[in-house]
Amino acid sequence: MTTAGLILRLVIFPGLLLLFVLAFVWEWLDRKFVARLQKRHGPLYSGPAGILQPLADFIKLLAKEDIEPAVADKAFFRVTPALLLALPLAGLFFVPIASETALAHFPGDLIVVLFLFTLLVITIFYAGWGSADRFSIIGVMRSTIQMLAYEVPLNLALVGPALAAGSLSISRIVGWQSTAGRWLIVGQPLGFAVALISLMAELELTPFDIPEAETEIVAGWQTEFSGRKLALIRLGEDMNLVLASSLLVALYLGGPAGPVPGLGLLWFLIKAVAVVYVFSNLRAVFARFRIDQMVNWCWKYLVPAAVAQIIITELILA
Amino acid sequence: MPEKPTKQDDSFIVPIGPQHPALKEFEYFELRVDGEQVLDVSVRLGYNHRGIEKALESRTYSQNLYLVERICGICSHAHTTCYCQAIEQLLNVEIPDRARYIRTLVAELERIHSHLLWLGIAAHEIGFDTLFMYVWADREIVMDLLELISGNRVNYAMNTIGGVTRDVRPAMSDKIMTGIHQLEARARYYKGMCLEEGSVMQRVAGVGILQRQDALDLCAVGPTLRACGVASDLRKDDPYAAYDALSFDVITYDGGDVGSRMLVRIDEVAQSVHIIEQCLQQMPPGSLQVKVPGKVPSGEAVSRVEAPRGELIHYARSNGSDQPERYKVRAPTFANMPALSKMLIGGYIADVPIVIAGIDPCFGCLDRMSFVDVRTGRNWVWSSEQLRRRAQA
Repeated sequence: MTTAGLILRLVIFPGLLLLFVLAFVWEWLDRKFVARLQKRHGPLYSGPAGILQPLADFIKLLAKEDIEPAVADKAFFRVTPALLLALPLAGLFFVPIASETALAHFPGDLIVVLFLFTLLVITIFYAGWGSADRFSIIGVMRSTIQMLAYEVPLNLALVGPALAAGSLSISRIVGWQSTAGRWLIVGQPLGFAVALISLMAELELTPFDIPEAETEIVAGWQTEFSGRKLALIRLGEDMNLVLASSLLVALYLGGPAGPVPGLGLLWFLIKAVAVVYVFSNLRAVFARFRIDQMVNWCWKYLVPAAVAQIIITELILA
Repeated sequence: MPEKPTKQDDSFIVPIGPQHPALKEFEYFELRVDGEQVLDVSVRLGYNHRGIEKALESRTYSQNLYLVERICGICSHAHTTCYCQAIEQLLNVEIPDRARYIRTLVAELERIHSHLLWLGIAAHEIGFDTLFMYVWADREIVMDLLELISGNRVNYAMNTIGGVTRDVRPAMSDKIMTGIHQLEARARYYKGMCLEEGSVMQRVAGVGILQRQDALDLCAVGPTLRACGVASDLRKDDPYAAYDALSFDVITYDGGDVGSRMLVRIDEVAQSVHIIEQCLQQMPPGSLQVKVPGKVPSGEAVSRVEAPRGELIHYARSNGSDQPERYKVRAPTFANMPALSKMLIGGYIADVPIVIAGIDPCFGCLDRMSFVDVRTGRNWVWSSEQLRRRAQA
């Protein structure tokens, strides 16, 4: 492959441009789904059916005043919003979107993606700690406690596909599914459910929106961010949603493989929209957990379920 | 970085208010917390002070109708009913029977509207926005009924001294019946949902507990008191308007927690529907109001009404002119404030919004009595003893 081709692939398709478009579209879909579940209409005016609303929000925030608290740790406060966008973006390069192999892949890239998920929480911790605000501090405390609850089940659940495919590379796992002719969700429904719920906690979606619970602690760790920084954080959250949905599609739903070959991106999009739809549904039907209830619940139900899935997978393989 | 701890303990202050997303109006709750646990709370009232009592004393009795209506945006009918009753007592007039029934009917529609509004807010406070959207969509039914009767959605202007201003025509009855039966079905649905949906119950059951004895000692009122198992309801205990002629139950639950307060309110919606049905069936024909003079003979009167949030007390003293000499409003939220502090201590930060919302606070009603010395910046609140002395002076 020529260097020009590589740059084209990185920047336009299936690289950055596609991912940014997906981030905005996914946010729009999520807002629409949830609005319809709540007897509302959601975005309506910007673009057809309001599809440009997330982009409009982003641009509006970019133009807004960017306030830095006097006592904030400036370095943390400035760097973290960019990191919060860059980390999920980096993760997405390892997830196959338009073809069976990702932009970057090597044996063990699944571990890298899991590492990035943890790194995101640590970045959030520094973002909140750096803003030196009471609500932010409570938010990051909750965020890190929440990580203790969902990280173990998430990692355990994602071991399942790796075990079945015999590889720690996401691209290999996708390839294994297309050669085996079946999706991993068939053999590992429990693992899929655990991964889905843990990722909801990672994305801080209701009922796991504890670190940014509006009525309790204003906006949690995001309270002090405004203007450009908030725009980046919000885009980072959208990108994180893209990463979570793409990862689930790649690991459990066969990635870009579909009945008609050559239309990888289309199949991928259909499956990812379905995953976003499930996310939106789940986030609309629950009340928010309290942090102690959440930790309790994760260790009581998610961890045993994830372990059970690994044992079942091992038995099938043996 | 956060402030350096001065003492050994790790506790720090979390301000809820004066502006905070959990509060729909301005009030200040200063929480001392250790991690997620609330160690102590100090409540400071007075951010919404509008000087309404003073304004009442410098306007005529009929002008005051409009001002009293605007003490609260939700229980506006309760305030005018209470005001009109006090002035009618001073004037020594009996209002026509039909007016009594219309007052009752609007009061119960207002109770339904207030309780549904509360349920929506409570759902929002525990992060369940879908329930919030559903409840508020259904609340439109009762808002439409109120608009049908009075022409307004919020300040109905139905009461006047000596009766009511508008009639409930027979043509409206069918629409009201259909509407309230829809609401009753929805209330039943929400009750089932709140009881069955685990994530709701685990946020409200056992949260913000108020012991029965504390509730009585601290003079809690309304659904907050009834959720502690005390059957106290002015509509039964000291009937006004047409309540003595109507049959209904006083709803009580024994939990003393936010969950019980939620169930009390949902059940009260069904009782209100029952009362409205009876009003429509039993409403006697007749005139709507009696003519009253502009000047009120001197004397004093106390009037009590069971507002959606609890017992509302108005006190009026007249000196024979067309303006009250002294007017005092005791809103139910004020009565529930001491109990609220009790509920918050020992709980989690996460529970603070729903516990505060649990008493259905209305700070617009509450804040009329706070004193600030502008020269020294000193701020204080008068005790009931001082208030009594002032009222007698």
